[in-house]
Parts: sequence; structure tokens; C-alpha cells
Amino acid sequence: MYKGREGQWAFLLHRLSGLAILLYLLLHVISISMYMFGEATYMRVHHVYDLSVFRFGLILIAAGVMYHAMNGLRIILMDFTGFGVGIQRQAWYVVLLITVVWTLYVASMVIPRIMAGV
Amino acid sequence: MQINVKILRFDPDKDKKQHWETYAVECQPSDRVLDVLNHIKWYIDPTLGFRRSCAHGICGSDAMLINGRNRLACKTLIRNVVTGNAGTITVEPIRGLKVEKDMVVDMEPFFDAYRSIMPYFIADGAPPAAEYLQSEHDAERMAHSSNCILCACCTTSCPIFWVNGSYIGPAAIVQAHRFIFDTRDGATQQRLNLMNQNTGVWRCRTAYNCTEACPRDIPITELIEEVKRAVMYQQA
Repeated sequence: MYKGREGQWAFLLHRLSGLAILLYLLLHVISISMYMFGEATYMRVHHVYDLSVFRFGLILIAAGVMYHAMNGLRIILMDFTGFGVGIQRQAWYVVLLITVVWTLYVASMVIPRIMAGV
Repeated sequence: MQINVKILRFDPDKDKKQHWETYAVECQPSDRVLDVLNHIKWYIDPTLGFRRSCAHGICGSDAMLINGRNRLACKTLIRNVVTGNAGTITVEPIRGLKVEKDMVVDMEPFFDAYRSIMPYFIADGAPPAAEYLQSEHDAERMAHSSNCILCACCTTSCPIFWVNGSYIGPAAIVQAHRFIFDTRDGATQQRLNLMNQNTGVWRCRTAYNCTEACPRDIPITELIEEVKRAVMYQQA
């Protein structure tokens, strides 16, 4: 493992979260398009998403989207200003903080519902 | 102090793949990693292969992956990579280039990228009667990029370069920066067009490994970003 610093991990997480979002989007589009085969098919597919594992995955997707969005802003700042490059390390910690807070919020909304089975 | 030096060895005549070998070496905290490697080569195992030339951080021959980071063996002190007695340092060849033997890698792709950016002054029209003049302020623009010694620490620390050898890499872009921001050079447009190709600056994903690795403390990512902006604004 190359011992890179913050920038390397910011890059890696950006790639992974981007990939996760892409997969989610594909799954989403395919699921929605199931309506072409009628409401019954559509509902059968969508009942699968009620499984806890998918609902838990929703928390991860929310985390991935927030990280990707916030780090995207960090990248824009770096690409357009020397100032952004100067503070890239600190900016990444802010990105992580926002992502963690947001993920905890989403988890606090989703997990009780999983527990209650609604 | 006694340290263990763990080296990733490869002999193309005997080995199918790389393997680790460990050498116990007596050294001082103020010794450099290069001194330790020389000791191993001269007194323990003469088959060890690595490049070194000036041994003073200028020729750029001895870039290696030391304790997980690209550094020059001649500029890295033992006390900065080993803590306490009987510590271990790991030495590997730089990544992304074909290993020929032990620490010796094929540098040709690296220098091909360097040559591709036209690393020479191109005059614009007839030469002046005397010198090409440049103000101190203008010279400052290329102060960092003209410090490069082409050691390949940056390019071989880049995650993009590891998986995409066609990317010209940070070192070549730093060299291009040196000429793009040289007020005397006449081929700025041509250079920016080279940087705008799909093997150029846009491959950079700002992982900052190059900046961390540079033994000359060149703010490489910052320079690459400057080139990106120059390419973008010339098209606007």
C-alpha cells in the first residue's frame, strides 16, 4: 500500500462513491422501467427493496452521494483557485465531517424504521 | 544502531517474480538510506542492483519506494524512516515502470513522456540583438518548475499513472509548465495543445501523491492546476 496522504484517500473515496452512485442509478432506472411490464411486475421488484439489507444500503448511498457532492465542491475549489489547493487537506476533513454528520442523521431516520418493520 | 533492511528483489535471470530479502545492517541514525544500500552491495550481497550517481540529490537516479513512499535514497536519513533500534525499513522499486532488476526500472516510458512535451526553448521570430530578457517577476512564475531533476518520484507515485501508462505524468507536466510560463518562449499555444490531449493534464485527479513525494519540494499539483487553467482559459 502506497502511503499517500489525505489527497490519495480523497481521490479513492471519490472514485468508489462515484461508482456506487452509478450502480445505484442503473438499478434505479431498471427498477422503474419494470412498469413497462405492468404494475404487478413493478411491485414485485419493489417489494424486494423492503428487505433490511436494501434499506441499510440506502444509508450507504446517502453517505456516498453526500461525500461525492462535497468532495466535488472541494475539487472545483482546487481546480479554479490556488487557494483551494492550499487548503485541500483541511477542506477534505470538512468534507468528511459533513458526510459523517449527514450519514448519522440518515441512519437515525432509517434504522428505527427498519427495527419497527415499517 | 542495528536495523533490518527489507528489499524487494528481482533478478530477471533467476526469478519469476519479485521477492523480499532482509539484511541486518549496522548504521548510524545520521546515515542515509543510500549509505545502507551501498553497505549491503559492497559487503553483504554484491548482486543488489540500484542506480545512483551524484548521491547528493541532484542527479535524480536513486528514486525508490522507501517505507511506502517515493523518496531519493540519498536524501533520506535513517533516523527519519526508522524509529528505535532493530527497526525495519522497506525498499522497493518505484511503481508503474517495468522492473529490470531489483531497484532498476525501465525509465524509457518516463523519458518518452518528457520528450513529448518539447522540453526545449522555442524562439518566436528572429532572436534579439543581445540576451532574451526576463524580469525577476516573470522568472518567479517558473521558479518552482525549473527545479525539477527528473527523478520520477512524482510520476511513479501517481495512482493514475500506475494504471494508465499513457498519461504523461506529473514530471512531464511540470517540465511543460516551465516552458508555458516562460515569457521568452514562443510556442505556448503548441504546448497548451499538447497538454490538452487526452494523455495530458486532464488525466490528473489531484491525489497529491506527487506533491508529497517531490524531493525538491515543488508544489506539483498546484503547477498542474495552473496548466489546466491556462489550457481552459486559452479556449474561452
